[in-house]
Amino acid sequence: MSSNRWFATGNFFSSYKAEQRIFFTHLDRTVFAVFLLALFVWPLCVELSNKYMLVLDNILIAMIAIIGLNLVTGFAGLISIGHAAFVGVGAYTLAFVARQLGDSHILITHAWPLMLVLCGLVGALFGAFVGLPALRLKHLYLAIATLSFQMIFQWTINFLPLFNQGQTIPIGRIYWFTGMVSRQNHYIFWYYVILTLVVLMGLAVRNLLRTRFGRSLVAVRDNDRAADAMGMHPGLTKVFAFALAGFFAGVAGALHAYLYRGAGIESFTLHQSITYLAMAIVGGLGTLTGSFWGPAAIRFLDLQVENMVEWSAHFLPATLNLATALKPLTFGLVIVLFLMFEPRGIANWWRICRTYLKLWPYRY
Amino acid sequence: MTYFFQLVVSGIVVGSIYALAGLGFVLIYKSSRVLNIAHGQIIAAGAFITYALTVWLKVPLYLAFFLSMGLTFFLAMSVERVFLRRLIGEPIISVIMVTIGLMSILDGLIYLTPFGTVNYSFPEFFPKTPVDFHGVSISWTQLVGVTITFLLIALFSWFFKRSTVGISMRAVSDDQLASMSVGISVPRVFGLAWALAGMSAAAAGGIIGNITGLNFETLHAFGIIVFPVVILGGLDSIIGAVVAGIIMGLIQQFAAGYLDGHWGLNGTKDVLPYVILLIILLFKPHGLFGTHEIERV
Amino acid sequence: MKHQHKWMIQVLVALILCLAMAAPSCAAEKYKLALSLAITGPTSDAGAPYSKGVEDYIRYVNDTKMFKDAVVECPIRDDQYQTDITKRNFEEFLSDGIVLYLNYSTGSTLALKKDFEEEKIPVIPASFHAGNLEDSHYIFLPIATYSSQCIGLAEYIAANNKGGTPQVAMFIHPSAFGRGPVDDLKKAIAAGLKMDMVEVVEHGKDLDNTAMLQRLLSKKVRYVICQTVQSPVATLLKDAQRLGVIAKTFGEDGKLTFVGAHYTGGNDLIELAGSAAEGFYWTTSYTLTSEPGPGTDFQLMLAKKYSRDDKTANSHNYTNGMMVAQLAVETIRRVKAKNLKVTRENLYNELNAMNGANSYSPGNTVGPVTYSPTDHAGVDTLQIYSVQKGVFKAVGKPFVPKFAK
Repeated sequence: MSSNRWFATGNFFSSYKAEQRIFFTHLDRTVFAVFLLALFVWPLCVELSNKYMLVLDNILIAMIAIIGLNLVTGFAGLISIGHAAFVGVGAYTLAFVARQLGDSHILITHAWPLMLVLCGLVGALFGAFVGLPALRLKHLYLAIATLSFQMIFQWTINFLPLFNQGQTIPIGRIYWFTGMVSRQNHYIFWYYVILTLVVLMGLAVRNLLRTRFGRSLVAVRDNDRAADAMGMHPGLTKVFAFALAGFFAGVAGALHAYLYRGAGIESFTLHQSITYLAMAIVGGLGTLTGSFWGPAAIRFLDLQVENMVEWSAHFLPATLNLATALKPLTFGLVIVLFLMFEPRGIANWWRICRTYLKLWPYRY
Repeated sequence: MTYFFQLVVSGIVVGSIYALAGLGFVLIYKSSRVLNIAHGQIIAAGAFITYALTVWLKVPLYLAFFLSMGLTFFLAMSVERVFLRRLIGEPIISVIMVTIGLMSILDGLIYLTPFGTVNYSFPEFFPKTPVDFHGVSISWTQLVGVTITFLLIALFSWFFKRSTVGISMRAVSDDQLASMSVGISVPRVFGLAWALAGMSAAAAGGIIGNITGLNFETLHAFGIIVFPVVILGGLDSIIGAVVAGIIMGLIQQFAAGYLDGHWGLNGTKDVLPYVILLIILLFKPHGLFGTHEIERV
Repeated sequence: MKHQHKWMIQVLVALILCLAMAAPSCAAEKYKLALSLAITGPTSDAGAPYSKGVEDYIRYVNDTKMFKDAVVECPIRDDQYQTDITKRNFEEFLSDGIVLYLNYSTGSTLALKKDFEEEKIPVIPASFHAGNLEDSHYIFLPIATYSSQCIGLAEYIAANNKGGTPQVAMFIHPSAFGRGPVDDLKKAIAAGLKMDMVEVVEHGKDLDNTAMLQRLLSKKVRYVICQTVQSPVATLLKDAQRLGVIAKTFGEDGKLTFVGAHYTGGNDLIELAGSAAEGFYWTTSYTLTSEPGPGTDFQLMLAKKYSRDDKTANSHNYTNGMMVAQLAVETIRRVKAKNLKVTRENLYNELNAMNGANSYSPGNTVGPVTYSPTDHAGVDTLQIYSVQKGVFKAVGKPFVPKFAK
């Protein structure tokens, strides 16, 4: 917590309530407000190509998913190798409705905020269900139980004609007060929607973490038996953590389906689950800011590697293999290097930067 | 009835190959409590090295088999030294993620070789006619594979039960601090565990490669397919890996033999292991033969 | 802390450098195409030679100055078989102002179908899935659909089977790509194609197919139509070989004859299955280097010119990529010959007009490419090949399946 300027010289809090505040100074609050405003205003000034808008939207969606993953894996310490499946549950809830009622049914095109919540709730339901083994299982065995869910999910979607056997189920264009959101406005529209959701959910989680439940999550992670002795219910806490993660994943999934205007199994595979975990790690497990840094960093790296590959292809034409090997190689290296040299993730750099700026030009 | 026995035999064959592939997980987990998700890639590497030695360098097969086991021995050992030695004592998620990162790195490295995108297959070493027993048939490749599997598993069991090094490895898995205090080098034991796992992976790779042909996607998928097997058997039990391997092999064969094509079902053998795994975990959280860990506050 | 601070600055500098490197430059008139496909990840064994085929032919066009002052540009992007990345690539290509798009997988073609419609951009995918064409106007398949390939194989079986109705099973990939032709083949059977479909098997990652093969034999199945990729077929063939159930002659009684559609065959299958591939029947619309002709000579010349290895040069997926690039370039040429601007709309019209006297023979297919507003499958003609002494040899003459629509 050295991001707080008061901690530089000592602890001056006179009540627990004061210690739990989200913004410690007016400056903090102002900076945050200006930053938010900037996030909402910049698209009016700069026009980004569709590709980068798509990438941005994608990063924001991943942020929502990672907030959920961080709750269950970072704060509660329950490793989930099936997070993409939860995201998939959300997407396929929407797709299921689309398939039953038609892809341009009024529920989907007009009542989409309702659908987002519904998908989140279904995600939460599945989360709680998959979290049930957590009552008995721990560590690796639990991780493998979530992996099993991932596999069962993939098979189910791939097999059932109800879900179009894994082929894309289309979802119609949605309506806003100004009429149908057209192709030109699609990405920018969803940018605003997802951004709003990220801010809302981020604040919600920030608040959640300072409640009794938030603290019991961490307590259960650190030692569930001790937590039990202190009067918490580790089992319920774990199941609830999974349910929350499922909710966030479900919303992310619904957003994904809306953004890509369809749900197909390729977006929710084991590979995606692993990518989500990598994002959480690189961002910083068990930190809220990490949930924002991780997706941004991993997607940015992806793009840069792609650009580099393309650039190297200008003078290395015959060695396409070298270029394509770069992608998994850098992805793996980034994970491993972070774990070896900065296990607290980018969130830690952020913390260091902030401290440095707070004290500048003095040294601590 | 022949159909039933054929399913049993096929199940045992497939299952023992699973057991051999799963052995690598167990060896590493037993001593260092690390689940190596990159095992599939090491299996693939082992298969490719064997192929490169036999076909490109014209080394006789049995020699190439042992040579590639030797090479992966050192490959896995250096992987441990470079990537995992620093993480001793880190939380379990870090260790899992390092092996996931490792998986990507090895993927990248294999894409640098021709094996990443091109398919190869071993020349045929064994007689083409199957061993036939009253209509139940098994190929020579499979027979040799199963024999090697059981030989290796017997060897490793003996190694852990009787040899000094093996006993020290078991000691480390039981209590790291205590074993350090009696003069066992814990990092060296970890390195050795990885090296042995690498060896078993090369053996598995050689056998699987002979059966399926050398396609990178198919080979490294075995790292994932084998998860249910090792979890079912208990992560730290060699005998568990064998029993669970054969159980899974049988389940898959019976699922494919009796479920597929009925009631509109298909491809059940890919999902059933996971369903059964989930159910078993609920009743026996440490697998069939795994050690119960007693936790204290 | 000081140490870490330095490290951060280094990372930042490195990132900025990376950004700077990625800035491209441009000049002269360009016709922009683009290809997104799986060079790594699933199906990369087909994707890699495919990408090289496209790349080489486009380079050939530019090196030989086919369009004098203008050049054809075709960036190739790896999407690792992930629809999300394909979509991103596609959006980027659109911003670049491409006039024609080359796609790859069945999954992504189906997922982007609506975008193709909205953007009105002609698309040539590497997936020959019949479902691609449903509710779609802008997707042009280069050759016959998987469905008509399977129907073609079925017709060949029906024509060459001796004694009674042929009993057939299908061995398919567990995805849209594999399942697509099943229903179409069933429809063809209902429409009068003389055969019984006994069983449809979806494969997984199999180490042993003995039981399945014995089951098929006990149900008196004589033919197995495979619609998947090479690796599972290779395992199946090896198991069949060791059981001794591969038919020596086509349709031998009490044995199994294996036949397969485009992505099951090729040299990769022979590499994987070895001698078990002997007697495997395969259909595609492409000519093979094992049956030399003018088309294959050109292909080998091209591969040699850009120093590709033998394996790539002889791969049917290299032909596949090359032919798709040829088709795209030919369409551009025709539009230019009419003194029209090379736009999406003109290319689309030109593709639709590619029939009758205007049909196009790229040289490496067994028949001409014909499109019309109602027919978006290119080469309708199929050629049956079978493996004889380790190479694919043509069987009979090219034909057009009768029961395919």
